[in-house]
Amino acid sequence: MQFERKKLSNGLVLIGEINPSAKSAAVGFFVRTGSRDETPEINGVSHFLEHMLFKGTDALSALEVNEAFDRRGAQFNAFTSEENTVYYASVLPEYLEDITELWAELMRPALRDDDFDMEKNVIKEEIAMYEDAPTFDVIDRCRTLHYGSHPCGNSVLGTVAGIDALTADQMRQYFARRYAPNNIVVACSGNFDWGRFCTTVEARCGRWQPQTVDRLLTDFKGTRESKRLGKPNLNREHICLVHTGVSAQDARRFAASLLSLVVGDDFGSRFYWELVDKAIAEAASMHFGPLDGTGIFYNYLRCSRAAVPRVTDIVTGIFQDLLRDGISEDELTKARNKVLSALVIKNELPMGRLVDLGFNWMYLGQYRSVEEDVEAIKAVRVEEVNSLIRELDLSRFTQYSLGPVSA
Amino acid sequence: MEQKADRYVLNNGMVLLGEPMGGVESVAFEFMLPAGAARMPEGACGAANVISDWIFRGAGDRDNRQLGDALDSLGLQRSDSVGSSHLSFGGALESSNLTEALTLHADAILRAHLSDEQFAPARQLALEGVLALDDEPRQKVMVELRKRFYPAPLGRSTVGEIEDLERLRPGRTREVAKSCFDVGRTIFAVAGKYDFDAVCGQMESLFGGCPGPGSGAVEIGARAGRYTHIPNEGSQVHIGVMTDVVPFTGQDYYDIRLATSVLSGGMSARLFTEVREKRGLCYAIGARYHSLKDAAGIMCYAGTTPDKAQETLDVIIAEFRRLAEGIGVEELDRAKVGLKSSLIMQSESSGSRAGAIGSDYYMLGRVRPLEEIKERIDGTTVDSIVEALKRRPFNDFTVVTIGPREVRVE
Repeated sequence: MQFERKKLSNGLVLIGEINPSAKSAAVGFFVRTGSRDETPEINGVSHFLEHMLFKGTDALSALEVNEAFDRRGAQFNAFTSEENTVYYASVLPEYLEDITELWAELMRPALRDDDFDMEKNVIKEEIAMYEDAPTFDVIDRCRTLHYGSHPCGNSVLGTVAGIDALTADQMRQYFARRYAPNNIVVACSGNFDWGRFCTTVEARCGRWQPQTVDRLLTDFKGTRESKRLGKPNLNREHICLVHTGVSAQDARRFAASLLSLVVGDDFGSRFYWELVDKAIAEAASMHFGPLDGTGIFYNYLRCSRAAVPRVTDIVTGIFQDLLRDGISEDELTKARNKVLSALVIKNELPMGRLVDLGFNWMYLGQYRSVEEDVEAIKAVRVEEVNSLIRELDLSRFTQYSLGPVSA
Repeated sequence: MEQKADRYVLNNGMVLLGEPMGGVESVAFEFMLPAGAARMPEGACGAANVISDWIFRGAGDRDNRQLGDALDSLGLQRSDSVGSSHLSFGGALESSNLTEALTLHADAILRAHLSDEQFAPARQLALEGVLALDDEPRQKVMVELRKRFYPAPLGRSTVGEIEDLERLRPGRTREVAKSCFDVGRTIFAVAGKYDFDAVCGQMESLFGGCPGPGSGAVEIGARAGRYTHIPNEGSQVHIGVMTDVVPFTGQDYYDIRLATSVLSGGMSARLFTEVREKRGLCYAIGARYHSLKDAAGIMCYAGTTPDKAQETLDVIIAEFRRLAEGIGVEELDRAKVGLKSSLIMQSESSGSRAGAIGSDYYMLGRVRPLEEIKERIDGTTVDSIVEALKRRPFNDFTVVTIGPREVRVE
């Protein structure tokens, strides 16, 4: 693997990890913008813009964009989170240049009024779809409750009323502020030619004008509030607990990631043996969600309404045990093996590698090889995980439950 | 595309398949046991789901916890699943741990304790899984669709039915497990970094002593009704549509596979363009080819708010019908490039390859070389697709909706 980087005079950063033996290549435009960068009046605009990028440029219609991707057999998509909007594609090496050029063109979209109006329908359908997916919905609601007034609590999708009120002008102004070259990283991984990649990107993006782009970075310990919402069409209880975590820049992020597996991996974790193996809860997991300057752990539990008190007792007991006794050497070893194995398997695919490559640059401003991450995970000691447990105080969390209306 | 294929058959009939891959440290493996949902006896729908959990609750010298811990310490990314025809066990891991993973799986398959005590939580989890499906209408609509589209028992729910699960007892379930865990009709696939001689040697010693294949015929019944609506006070109407096409083993397979791509292969395909881009009816809309060994369909999902449900269904059906009226050369070319690209990209993943070679062998009795698939894709033409569509037109559609409003089905 060979790493390359280049910074254009307008601030756009290009990074690449070349693997000549790969059969494909993956390219991504990582834009440092998401719902946390929005004000309440324009909530949902980052995600809306992600949809609008596919609507084309002054020279390309939406259908022509889709045809251009499909003609090269690209597996492509985009996603928006609280703080990033990422556009990516995975292609055979012979099509990489065309697809990179296409993405670069799309980063300067037409943002037409009629496309905006039509896409409102699609966005509102997406909001409705997630309302019918309680597993997603409860985590989203709990994150919002946890963050309270902190911008990381902003909804990524926004609300139907908010999307109705959003104007195309507001979207265009937001675009002009956030899609500046100094706020974007272009990453490529797999089998590709670095020199040609740079030439392609530079030709399309070299004349973009830099802007002053900022983001409010404050940590937040969480509201630790508790809420429940009954819905007539639900028959299971969906519970989300959010703990304060550590940020994406924090050296303890590897310990945090291992902790989440010890507590709540789908198989073999404390949640698994205490809740799922005994069929008290049907699903129980914990995930670490590192963010820019802040971070959370979110736990998801699914059980019958009748089992809620028992599940709550057991979960509280697990957190108290962890605070009192910490994790064991054996638990850490198993979690480490799982993380390492997942890391190796994921990074065997250029698309899997692209995500780590891009985010390491976005958050840390540095290149980290897979080997460096492997070493960092191997180096985590039990005491580091245990001091993290004490510092974050796992016994305190924000809770949101969705479930049936009747008790 | 360079590709090597390994194959070895044990005396009892168990087939071992392998595909070595360069440049990877991982290996993926899959045991396909002929114990899928369709092979469960009448009145035991969900037994396969229970068994897939139960066999890992203690086996050989290890109790439930010890077996779980042993699997866990290997860093195995488990990918167990219940299908119509098979129960599949396996996953991906670093290649140095393969030997130990196979030993543990042999214990679970051949020497599971299947204790009464562990039956209760295994069955309870299956029951909870069925109930949880009610809260996820997007998944549930496709389960209900397969159930009604395929002739019974092929489309049975792989999670199970509440009434059947409640009636299941350990004794009967144990008998079902023993009769279905037919090693002589089991397919084992491995892909990635491995030593095939070593794998064969180990598999011979683990499974070589098992008896040969039993008979495994499944009696096929009738298809259920055409339209079913399941009321649900959610935000959207979740629509599932499925229509009959030639199975994977059929002569026209590649023509139909490409026709499906023209319909819904990428974002320039017809369904996405007509339903989402031009009319803004849905966020999620897509169709895919779904095949069992003896029957297949094109399976479509769309989720939309109640006022748009009827128009969404009408546009979908019209797009299915419009395929036989003709296909543009460019849209076929895009479909071909899309299929070939995804084929090559999937070949970089050990997990994808282990699954693909196992499934090929079950369906065709052989593993198709990637080069052959490429040639067959390239060999299709607008005419061959349209002729295939005319030979077997889309006359009937099975439709299931879940949501606050029904639709009219012609």
